[in-house]
Formats: sequence, C-alpha cells, structure tokens
Amino acid sequence: MVKWLGVAGVLFSPLILADPVLVTGGTFEPPVLLDKQRLSIEMNSFMLDATPVTNQAYLEFVSSNPRWQRDNIAALFHDGNYLKHWDNNTAFAQGKENEPVTYVSWFTAREYCAAQGGRLPSLNEWEYASMQYRQQQNISDNDYARKLFAWYSQPHSKQQTVNPNADQLMHMHDRVNEWVDDYQLLLSNGDDVDLLSGSCGDGARFMSSFTNANYATFFRYQSRSDYAPQSTTSTMGFRCAYDLENHDE
Amino acid sequence: MNRLLQVTALASLVFSAPLMAQDHSHHTQHGDHTDHTTMNAAEVSHSQSIYQIDALWNTHQQSSLKLSELAGTPVIISMIYGSCTTACPVLVHDAKRLYNSLDEATQKQVKLVMVSFDTARDTPEALADYAKQYNLNNNWLFLNGSEQDIRTLATVLGVRYRQRPDGDFDHSNLVSILDKHGVIAERIEGLSQPMEKPAQLVTQLAKMTVQ
Repeated sequence: MVKWLGVAGVLFSPLILADPVLVTGGTFEPPVLLDKQRLSIEMNSFMLDATPVTNQAYLEFVSSNPRWQRDNIAALFHDGNYLKHWDNNTAFAQGKENEPVTYVSWFTAREYCAAQGGRLPSLNEWEYASMQYRQQQNISDNDYARKLFAWYSQPHSKQQTVNPNADQLMHMHDRVNEWVDDYQLLLSNGDDVDLLSGSCGDGARFMSSFTNANYATFFRYQSRSDYAPQSTTSTMGFRCAYDLENHDE
Repeated sequence: MNRLLQVTALASLVFSAPLMAQDHSHHTQHGDHTDHTTMNAAEVSHSQSIYQIDALWNTHQQSSLKLSELAGTPVIISMIYGSCTTACPVLVHDAKRLYNSLDEATQKQVKLVMVSFDTARDTPEALADYAKQYNLNNNWLFLNGSEQDIRTLATVLGVRYRQRPDGDFDHSNLVSILDKHGVIAERIEGLSQPMEKPAQLVTQLAKMTVQ
C-alpha cells in the first residue's frame, strides 16, 4: 500500500506549491569573515524557497529524472545512504509528504534545484536570508542562539512537517541544516585537501564579534563544512535559490 | 540558457542509459580516492568516474566537449585561471613537467586538461592565447564552462576555490591523474612536487587496456 503511495502522489497531488519568496538585496555583515578587509557585503536580491524541499517535491523530481533515483545514482554523487529512508526509488512512507527531504547529497540537491530552473543558494545568500527571517519573525539574538543550539543538541527532522504553501520564509533554523553551494569554503575537513599545504585563502576566518548569535551561526558553518559533497544524513536538507531574471519563465 | 542546459542534460541522460544500467554499486561506501593507485583494472569502479558529470565545456580550440569524450586515455587535469600570475603558471608548468617525464609513446596517449575557474574572463579565445603563450601542443585542452559546472568539477576533484572581491580566485593547487575511465588515480597536492612517481603511474595507466 505504501509502495504505490508516492506514485499516486505524483499523479493526484493536490498541493499547489508556493512560489519562492523574494529576499531583498542590501548590505550584509557576515557573522564569519572570509576577508579581513571586508566587513560588509552588498547582496543582490534573489528568490529563495520559503521552506526546505519536501519529500513530495523531491519525489516528483526523481520520478521525472530516473538518473537520480536511489538505484540509479552513480556512486560518485553520494555516500551509499542516498534516500535510504525511502521505501524504494519512487515511494516513501505514508504521512511523510511534507517533511523536509533528507539523505540527499550536495550533488543531488544541486541537480534538484537546476531542474527547477534554480540553484543552491550561496552561503552568504542563505545567511543573509536567515538574518532577514530573524528580523521578520522578531527573533532576538539570544532566542536564535538558543533555538539553534536546542536543534543541534537534538536534531529531529523526522516527523516534522513544513507548510508547502508557505508565503514567507519558514523553518530556517528548526528543521534541517541546509546545503549551500559553496559550503566547503570554511573550516574545511570534508576531503583530502590539506588546507595548509599551500592553498590560498586559508586565513581570515573569524567571527566579526563574539556574540551568542554569531557563535550559533559559526557552529552551523562548522558542522556543515565537515561533510563531503557525497554525504547524506538524516539532518541535511536544502532549499533552492533563483536569480530574479530567470524566475518569471 | 537554463532551458538549454536542461535539454542538454536530458539528452545526455538518454545517451548514458546503458552505462547507468550497469551501475548497481550505490550500496558500497564512497571510497577514498587515494586508494585507487592499485593497478588492477578489474577493481576500477566506473561509477566513480568523473565522466559521470555530463556538462558541456568550451575548448580553447573553439569546440565543445564533454569530459566523457576523454575516456580511453589517461588524463592529467588541473584547475587554473588565465589572469592568475602566481600559482597558475606553476600548475601548468607542473603538468608540463609531468608530461615531459613520460616516454614518447606514453606522451602520445596522454591528454592534459586545464579547466578555468573564471567563466567570464577565460573565454575560449583568451584560453587559446594562454595555450599559445605557453607554447603547448595539441595534447593540451583548456576548458571554459558555466559557474555551476566549474563548481561541480572542482568539488569532485577536491579543489576548493572562491572568487575574491577583486575578481581573482583563491584556490587549492592540485594536479590530478585520471585513468582511462575517468577515475581519479592520483592527486598531486601543492606546487612543484616531484613527478617521478606520478610519471610511472601515468605510464602504467597508458598501458592498461580499456574494457
């Protein structure tokens, strides 16, 4: 019964997925600095999915892109656990439709976004959106830090749904950690490259000021940068970004 | 543009179907690339091939290329950018040193591929100038691609990079050797490394018959 549920979901999906939301450009002061000299960055406007990508949305992607189904994906693009919580190539357990999809690698997240005409957000874009979200939701720095550390101390992406029709940014800090396109920039440990063996740009990674909120953000960067691009885990999901000029198609 | 890429991706999907049909290796853990120096051809896992990336690149010879077209010969591959005056000429020189340490028969088989980080400035024309300036023969290919595809390839090779505010790139210095199937056989990290052992490896790889 569960086996064909996913396929039925594709055919009869009642969901009208929400449009991505606009993240208005402006000045961004990164909590973790890559450049000693550059304390603020001018961000362009872009669109971002309101919530993490759900199992249902991901199912529709793999249904029309068999290459990225669990039994077909090349070993180069995952660590062996890709979508391991699903029942098979095109089905997951009943009731999981609106949960963030997890056990997806950086490669597969990028393929999903490209198929939607989008891309993964850059690290700065994601963090800039997170900042705007905190302002929109009136989340104080301390509440943000508390919320993030609470999630990290007991991450539970399972049994936690998102509203697929959300019309504003949601669940930036309480569902899954999310892939970003350039996640490997910081505090790297995910592959064989010895960063002190002559690679450029290894220095100048530090918090702009030591606050609870910045420390929480730093922790997010660090936990994510330990992953290989093939990593798939129960707590890593993603959402897609879209350039403004491409979005009206 | 996105549409075009999607169509391309779809087309390649169709053409690569027979290859995918053989790929049931997803249950095995992703291996450490550095272990692939063993020469037993039977153990080569094709699904670890970087030729799984089906992006389309522009060459400095004004043609387009998929990396999978390089299959059948060992490949020496590195990532650079043309306006780089520090590490990049050394990387090209390192690849050239490796090439020059090979015997003539092996040299004829090997391809050298330099992929640019700089999609905007390193146009095929600019890359052609670069190849000419360094007096490189036809075994060399300089590739220009989209930002997304550059990021994918760099990630697969284990090259980290980012564009600085001044437009230049910070990047890892890495020369990689691919076997005839496009599987990473060796990674030479850092500049001006000794090339004797890598040259032996390339020679062995060149002798392996393609399955």
